[in-house]
Amino acid sequence: MTKENILDSIRENFRNGHITDVRERTPKRIYITVTPDIICGLTKLVTHDLHGRFNTLSAIDMRTYFEILYHFTFDEINLVVTFRTKLSDRQNPRIESISNIIEGANWIERETAELFGIEFTGHPDMRRLLLPDEWPQGVYPLRKDYKEWDKGAIRDRGI
Amino acid sequence: MKIKTVLKSPWIFHASSGSCNNCDIEIVDCLTPRFDVERFGILLAGSIRHADVILVTGSCNRQAAARVKKLYENAPKPVFVVAIGECSLSRGMFINSYNCPVPLDKIIPVDVYVPGCPPKPEAIIAGILKLMEKTKTGKKPQENK
Repeated sequence: MTKENILDSIRENFRNGHITDVRERTPKRIYITVTPDIICGLTKLVTHDLHGRFNTLSAIDMRTYFEILYHFTFDEINLVVTFRTKLSDRQNPRIESISNIIEGANWIERETAELFGIEFTGHPDMRRLLLPDEWPQGVYPLRKDYKEWDKGAIRDRGI
Repeated sequence: MKIKTVLKSPWIFHASSGSCNNCDIEIVDCLTPRFDVERFGILLAGSIRHADVILVTGSCNRQAAARVKKLYENAPKPVFVVAIGECSLSRGMFINSYNCPVPLDKIIPVDVYVPGCPPKPEAIIAGILKLMEKTKTGKKPQENK
């Protein structure tokens, strides 16, 4: 399977304006901007039919919206395909969970949920993963508007 | 009695409070035959209840801070604490991190500070020898000169 096969297959399956931008940064990395509602279908297509591997997902706080990037690798042809989706509702960012399709996405979705406050609907086990037990609910440390909540924190080196 | 064991053969307990593993590697280096801290009688203890000295590495994140405190409470007294690496001294580059609210010496009393990122094995050995000197004379090493 070549890079062109993969791109054609993705374009063919999602026609109606779901794919807004395809950008080839380097010969080994492709960024495809998609709408959030087709992420589950895309994941099924890429992992089941095209034999890609879900690598990880990453989230960015762009101040006015959130962006989630799903990275898929095709190891035989040395290619990384990244699907970037824009969550424009900054107050209640939510996207469908892909961990029912890929078990490996479970923990990274839990991590993203607690650090960014992005809700993954349909996630099977949304417990706290990394943050400490006394961390207050509704405070998300990796958001740009995060403010220090701990009054006892010391932020100087004592000199 | 306990002070004497510290001078003759301190058993150390190695606690990592969220370190990047670099300081831990240097500590392991100290125990290997190249640097061989066993010539000072220093042995790695498997349990905190056997320890005379606690070596703490890492920036003491929120989850680890409670556990470090618990370790200190469970150690037989008197116990000495050696902070190894910039992270456990002042949290280093993690000073503004949401997960590292206070430095180690605000959680438990620290006897010896070994700076460096990571400190060389020589620095760690020098630190532990300074601890021995401090326990022997009751003074800081600079005051002995």
